Amino acid sequence: MHFWNCIPLVALGAALALTPVQAADEDTTRALTALKAVTKEGKGNEDAGPAWKTLVSKGGAAIIPALEAFDDDNATAANWLRTAVDAIAENEIAAGRKLPADKLEAFVKDTKRAATARRAAYEILVAQDADAKGRLLPGFLNDKSADLRRDAITNQLDILEKLARPTIKADLEKLFTFTRDKDQVELVAKKIEGNGGNVSVSEQLGFVTFAALVGPFDNTEGKGFAVAYPPEAATNISATFKGKGGAELKWANAVPTEKSAAFDLNTLLTKHKDAVAYARAVVVAEKEMPGEVRVTCATAVQIFLNGKKLFQREEYHHGTPFDGHTGRGVLLKGENVIVLKVCQNNQTEQWAQAWQFQMRVCDSTGGPLPLEQKITMKDKTQTHKLGFLSPEAEKKEEKK
Amino acid sequence: MIRAILVFALALAPALTLRAADWPQFRGPNATGVSADKNLPTEWSKDKGQKWKAPLPARGVSSPVVVGDRVYVTCASGVRGDRLHVLCFDAETGKQLWHRQLQATGSPACHPKGGMAANTPVADETGVYAMFGTGDMAAFDKDGTLRWYRSLVTDYPTITNAVGMAASPVLVAGKLIVPMDNAGESFLAAVDTKYGKNIWKTERPREINWTTPIVRQVGSTTELLFAGPKGLTAYDAATGTDRWTFKAGGGSVPIGVIDGDSIYLPVGGVTKFKIDDKGIAEKSEWAAKDMATGYPSPVVYGGRVFTVSSQGLMVCTEAKTGKQLYKERLKGTYSASPVAGDGKVYFLNELAVCTVLSAKADEYEPLATNDLGEGSLGTPAIAHGRVYIRTDKALYAVGK
Repeated sequence: MHFWNCIPLVALGAALALTPVQAADEDTTRALTALKAVTKEGKGNEDAGPAWKTLVSKGGAAIIPALEAFDDDNATAANWLRTAVDAIAENEIAAGRKLPADKLEAFVKDTKRAATARRAAYEILVAQDADAKGRLLPGFLNDKSADLRRDAITNQLDILEKLARPTIKADLEKLFTFTRDKDQVELVAKKIEGNGGNVSVSEQLGFVTFAALVGPFDNTEGKGFAVAYPPEAATNISATFKGKGGAELKWANAVPTEKSAAFDLNTLLTKHKDAVAYARAVVVAEKEMPGEVRVTCATAVQIFLNGKKLFQREEYHHGTPFDGHTGRGVLLKGENVIVLKVCQNNQTEQWAQAWQFQMRVCDSTGGPLPLEQKITMKDKTQTHKLGFLSPEAEKKEEKK
Repeated sequence: MIRAILVFALALAPALTLRAADWPQFRGPNATGVSADKNLPTEWSKDKGQKWKAPLPARGVSSPVVVGDRVYVTCASGVRGDRLHVLCFDAETGKQLWHRQLQATGSPACHPKGGMAANTPVADETGVYAMFGTGDMAAFDKDGTLRWYRSLVTDYPTITNAVGMAASPVLVAGKLIVPMDNAGESFLAAVDTKYGKNIWKTERPREINWTTPIVRQVGSTTELLFAGPKGLTAYDAATGTDRWTFKAGGGSVPIGVIDGDSIYLPVGGVTKFKIDDKGIAEKSEWAAKDMATGYPSPVVYGGRVFTVSSQGLMVCTEAKTGKQLYKERLKGTYSASPVAGDGKVYFLNELAVCTVLSAKADEYEPLATNDLGEGSLGTPAIAHGRVYIRTDKALYAVGK
């Protein structure tokens, strides 16, 4: 059977496997209710502690109801439940009893369930059924769970390379579409290149590769972070602004200074300290859809989508984790204006001079969305697939 | 008279729950790094000199802690470092008694050398309190029952430190003291050990900091000495109110040691000050600039002060006079703090090579150099006549 043909079959299997699980008894239901009711600052912990004990005391019968109670939007409750699942599994194994493999497998395949719960179920299943891994992973290539997808891609890449079929380039290109983690995106792209192909890492990650910039505005003592300078609204791209020290500022078009779609503001706006800059990008959506604006930046940022602030973090030069800042919102049909506020402080250390950003727009898994990017150069406006890199940009070297 | 007896009894209460041989927190009894244990091991290797070795699911920078017959360890796994583990082992046999997992709710961003299992847990006879760099915090009974869980980043969403957080909690008279200095909402808090709810929460400067509070008794008041970049502040453990600040006592990674009426602070190398009920004397007794620290904290033992810098420069100084007795460049780099007991001082480097010195020798005469052949960043624990060492892969009980 062709590798890709098995995916719909697995999905069908998942659907068939959605048989009703046994109803939880009243004690279990009450316990789950108490665990799901915990909120901030330990509110509900008095009831959750006894509820946890009750749930665990139910043994293997409670494991599926506990997994079903996970909610990725309530991480606090999910951790109460996660530890209960661990305890139940541990106790059952210690007692020499097997956990319900068929129900666990059905649960793992049910993509409507919380990703963290499915991963937990998968690990319990694999621990007692060594064949489950090979059986299940091919079905997770396009999974919402980042961890399951990652393992599936590693597994599939291993299979493809071992088989080394004549179709390997096409197989790898297909696999590439499922990649989400940056290291896997780059790894599979490199394998494709090694087999004579060429794919765009930038498009797969959905990098913004064209922006208008304006700055600097004042950020002395970090106070500019809280000031809503006029470009934040970004309604008039032709407007002029009074910047730091009274300088007259206008939006100026810019392309990344590196192939990785990084915009180095020290290069593009010249080096400034105690400064605020804004970047404005326009992405075009065919229809309304949820989306994430993910930013990699070593300094304080704020992310706006169509005038609404999605995210802010005030931290300077403590590291540059990829996708370190994420704003979640809804992209509207047509043009969407993304504004990124990037602040710089006055630290003098050599490692604290970076003032740059990398920005991408993607779905909740980190995958590409069907978006175009509006690009205006030399008074000509075009649209290109989000992540598009001009031939000149492709040749740019990465900073070491 | 009755009041005096009560005050005495209350002051003694924290100590009554622990045995002399316990190593309940970061750097052991009151963070001194010194154990009263006898017959501690001198020589060991990968294959000999160990009571037991137990595999760990992932790496961690935290130390093992030992109370009674239990050893507790934390780890963090996954490509994102967002899978958090708490494990409990039988101190005599190394048998894994339980293993619980949490899903990180805060950002796992950190320096590549660190990780989310960087904060050392603290334990008492009832169980263990684990805190992670993601702001996830959980209390487990000694049998693995989850007593309570808190997501501090859910509670206080601006908490952030992209270098990674590592300050360790401590226990004081029924309160879990939570140090949370970071680039966002910063605080020192006391939470109740039964339900994990705030008893008090005192605002701190928004600066990243990795120090662990030192506890001392002043009459009927228990003080928490908490160093940060701008000084060392004493807080009343009962209320969280600040009692005094010693501006020259600032620090961010290594912590000081109280020995009688003196405090040895890792500032300007190591500097000795007198300390009394009112605070720390402005004038120092001596300062040893050669005693560079970096990550490791100093240890005061047998009338001597021992330090090792992150780059491996080991210095021994007379505690009374500050006179340097000897210094030596040890092999490798160091994250773990030296620990001492039974007339020996243990220096564990980042490759788990441990140099053992006689605390009494007047010159550098290593008793042994022991190599476990694995990466190791956590400070060892001493208990039950053994040295417990956690590496990236395993937990070792070295000794008989």
